[in-house]
Order: sequence, then C-alpha cells, then structure tokens
Amino acid sequence: MAIVDRAKSLSAALTYRGREGMWTWILHRATGLGILLFLIIHVVETATVIYWPQLYEGFLDTYKSAFFRFAEVLIFFSVVYHALNGTRIIVQDFWPLAMRRQRQLAWAAGGLTVLAMIPITFLMIRPLLGGPEPGEERHRQRIERQQATVPATTPVVQVTP
Amino acid sequence: MSTVIAPAGSARGQARRGGGYEQPQGRRSNFELYSWFFMRLSGLILIFLSLYHLVWWNLIVGVEHLSADLVRERWQNPFWRFYNVALLLFAMLHGLNGLRYSIEDYVRKPGAQVAVKAVAYTLILTSMAIGAFALFTYNPAVAAAAR
Repeated sequence: MAIVDRAKSLSAALTYRGREGMWTWILHRATGLGILLFLIIHVVETATVIYWPQLYEGFLDTYKSAFFRFAEVLIFFSVVYHALNGTRIIVQDFWPLAMRRQRQLAWAAGGLTVLAMIPITFLMIRPLLGGPEPGEERHRQRIERQQATVPATTPVVQVTP
Repeated sequence: MSTVIAPAGSARGQARRGGGYEQPQGRRSNFELYSWFFMRLSGLILIFLSLYHLVWWNLIVGVEHLSADLVRERWQNPFWRFYNVALLLFAMLHGLNGLRYSIEDYVRKPGAQVAVKAVAYTLILTSMAIGAFALFTYNPAVAAAAR
C-alpha cells in the first residue's frame, strides 16, 4: 500500500509520487513552520524596542549581517508562497469546481511566487553587489530633515553655562 | 448492518456506513470546524497584513536603515500599534493552530503529544504576551525615559 510505503522512511517518503498535491502540502507546512519559528524570535526581539532600546539595536546588528540578508529573502519567499498557496486552498474549499484544475492552480501559486520573488530578491541582494540599499533615498531625506531641526535647538545648549 | 461499538476511551465515535467515524459520544464539539474556518479567515486577513509589513520594512524602509527611534516613531501613531496588534494576534494564533496540526500528525503517543503541545503552546503564548505587552503599554513618555 502506498501510504504504508510512504510512512516507512524519509527516502520512501521523498520517492512517493504524490505529485503536485503532495509537494504543495510539504511546502505549505515547511514554510508555515519556518515563518512561525521566525515569528516567535521576531516578536520577542521587537518587544525590547520600548524598554531596552540598546538591546534592540544589538538585535538589529544581527539583522544587518550578510547572512541574515539571505535569511530575510527566504522569509519573504515563505510568506509569499504560503499566502498564494493558501489562497489556492481557500478557492478550492469554497468553490469545489476549482478542484478539477487543482494541478494547474498549484503550478499557478508556485509560478506567481517565483515571479514575485525575482524583483524582491534583486532589490534585497543588490547591495551585496555594490548596488543601492532599498529605501536609501528615503533614509537620506530623513537624515536631512533631522539635521535641519538640530540648529534650532543648539543655541539653547550654548547659552546654558 | 451491524454497528461497530468504539472501545471506551477511544477518541473515535462509532464507525459510519461507507467509511469514517461519527463524533465520539459525550464530547461532541464543533472545535475542528471553527478551527478550519479560523485558518481560512485569519489566512485571508494575514495575506494583506503580513505582505504589507514585509514590503514596508524590507523594501521601502530597508533593514539597513532600521533603528529603535524609527520603530518608536512609527508606534507613536495608534493606527500602527493597532495594526501590529492585529498582525501579532492573527499570525500567532494561525501559527499555533498550524503547529497543532503538525504535532497531531507526527507525535502519535497521547502522553508525548500532550507534553509537546504544552511546550509549544507555552512558547507561542508567552511570546505573544510579550509582544502584546510592549504594544499595549507603549507610551512615548515612558519610551523616552528608558533612553
């Protein structure tokens, strides 16, 4: 029996020919558990921003490493795939006629994920190849605005003995 | 047609004609139906909440430009705190239920399953509480004093 074979070992599970239905199920579960693991870390780490800002800045240093840049692309991929495949599941659940095209819909979810990830990966990885960071112009304007407000307060500091 | 009586203490109800099992006697509940519906509803909401969150912080702001000041500035607006509360609650509960599906699939021994669930639920609900605490107690004055 196919199901008994599949439950034997990892290699048997991987050679079990469940086709699109099996692979989308595995990807959906793997991306979901991966997102949950990051979510737990991310929520606790972001919560420190209010009462321990120095600790938060320490966490940010980790995020700004080259290794984490790839991890962020992987997280982005996981969320996009989980979202699109989840949409497919909802469509199939509430409009059962779509089940007749479940194989094509599975490929559509995967294909749209790849299409979305091409520009996203490009924008996030480009700085490693010497390109601009995402949001660089926005950041520069923000720094300029901050510097423009500093001179107005500095004379007060100079007057006090 | 003889009906098969499920053994006492079994999680299954009586065998149904044509396959499957009835819900167990004495503890009928619609929990699995509600959980199925919650996964679809929260999933649909999370598509918009999480993708906007990712696009905003990764592509528009950029992780390299992140700082505690920038996050606090964003949190000054009650709308964004409310947005984060919604994102936190839906994502955590959606993830908690997804993890429950996985645990029930892979950890089959009842005692071990209870133990693994206890650890997983504690971890998720504690981190959810920590996140909610930061969002609900955020007060620009307190945040400035902690600097």
